[in-house]
Amino acid sequence: MQDRLLPYWLLVPAFIIVLATTIYPLAYSFITSFRAWDMTESRSPQGFVGFDNYIYAASESAFLNSLWVTFIFVIASVTLTVVLAMALALLLRRKGPMHTFTRIILILPFAMSPALIGVSYRFMFNPEFGVLAKGLGAIFPSLQGVPWLADPDLAMGILVLTDVWHWTPYMTFMCLGGLASIPKETEEAARIDGASNLRIVFGIILPQMRGVILVMAVLKTIFALKMFDQVVTLTGGGPGTSTETLAYFIFNVGFRWFDMGYASALAWILTAIMMFISTWYVRMLLSERKMATA
Amino acid sequence: MKRNLAYLGERALLVLISIVVLFPIAWMFLTAFKQPRDAYSLSLIFEPTLQNFITVFSDPWNLGSMVMNSVIVATVTVAIAVPCAALAAYSFSRFRVKGRKFLFFLILSTQFIPAVVIVLPFFLMFRQLGMLDTRLALIIVNLAIVTPFVIWMIKGFIDAIPTDSEEAAMIDGASRLRVIKDIVLPMAAPGIMTSSIFCFILTWNEFLFALILSRRDAVTLPVGLVSFRTERGDLWELMSAAGVMITVPIFIMALFIQKHFTRGMTAGAVK
Repeated sequence: MQDRLLPYWLLVPAFIIVLATTIYPLAYSFITSFRAWDMTESRSPQGFVGFDNYIYAASESAFLNSLWVTFIFVIASVTLTVVLAMALALLLRRKGPMHTFTRIILILPFAMSPALIGVSYRFMFNPEFGVLAKGLGAIFPSLQGVPWLADPDLAMGILVLTDVWHWTPYMTFMCLGGLASIPKETEEAARIDGASNLRIVFGIILPQMRGVILVMAVLKTIFALKMFDQVVTLTGGGPGTSTETLAYFIFNVGFRWFDMGYASALAWILTAIMMFISTWYVRMLLSERKMATA
Repeated sequence: MKRNLAYLGERALLVLISIVVLFPIAWMFLTAFKQPRDAYSLSLIFEPTLQNFITVFSDPWNLGSMVMNSVIVATVTVAIAVPCAALAAYSFSRFRVKGRKFLFFLILSTQFIPAVVIVLPFFLMFRQLGMLDTRLALIIVNLAIVTPFVIWMIKGFIDAIPTDSEEAAMIDGASRLRVIKDIVLPMAAPGIMTSSIFCFILTWNEFLFALILSRRDAVTLPVGLVSFRTERGDLWELMSAAGVMITVPIFIMALFIQKHFTRGMTAGAVK
């Protein structure tokens, strides 16, 4: 009797936490997203305004800009991270002291605080005394005196760079795990038949890594959609609004301008995008698993 | 000859990767030990000093209280999240609970809710309750991010443990709780340890919540970094010293779990 209910009891503490810390706030901000609430005017929520906040979002250029910025950021950061991680994993799966050393230090960028990464890249790209700004200028004369973070495109580039530097190691570990689970026989047979390295990678290894690569790409997309920390500490959304990601824009609306109704609506738009992707992700995981057990 | 060349190329590539990984970290560490005048030059030869560390720990920066906040918030978050998550992970791993797929899906999906959505209502609620700028507030919101993740991770580790010895003990009349305590927990210990450290790192580095919910008393280390941006400009040598303080404890922990890390990641993500 007691044993029959045990599986449920074990779930209770975790579910209380999850319900209280995520489901409740979600419901709260969903309701708030249909109200007007300018916190500089009123301490409590004002009247319901239907879909006004959402309709306003659809026509506000600052919001549309942040959508576009986020889109560019996600595409660049996901593509670079996944490709680099796959290449690194192929290189690092061999044995050797230098391989092991590189694998060990790879965990460091991932453990580093993203806010701190933003700060340190800001320092290194300072045009007056930044070591990377100066160093690149010395190697490539055409890059001398480039105002890195003051240029919209370069600032976006550096923002992507910090994120790729931070996430590639984690994704490399995922790839290494995936590579380790691929049976070695086909690869060895192909090698005996004299197939080139390139053919082995593209013809044998990558097709078998399809599942892992997909999982990585979706996971990275979800993390990239939330991009916030380095925007604050590296670019401050600038120059202008050129690196204002969606999460940063919502933060500004809510905590600089205190328009809680509008901020909630924007937050729900972001949630909807992420829910859409993550539902797809979980579905894919379940079907991959079925394929694996079949 | 050709093989030698490929071998050399591979070595060179590995060296290059190591430089890309280590350089930003090394530069920060160097800057932390430079005097202000050296911090703005690129020279590698300088008279090292501990002055920056002394400065950041004294008035007005008071990094000590931020270290305290970070340690308390991260430790308490781990202490609450990991035991609850371990029990749930065991249930998900071993029982065919009704609606299990839906519940697991629910937990997984919450992991993908953007933090900015969670913090908005909590900001309003904490303001109402006068809990803004307290460590408790930070712990509560951090649980939101960390708990689903840890359930997922520990489940991966428990899935990998064979059920034979559990079944044998149950046949001998041991209760399920006893089995969990005496058999499963010891076997899952490395996995739970790895998940705990992982969870600690996530909370330690958390920025958005702390930025919004703390002003003065509960400020954690990552948010403290922003305070070195003054009217006089960015104080890089002090930022670097603070950066070293944020990084060192986490690096030690990360290197400690490095071995299990690869396994944990794939278990969580692919299985």
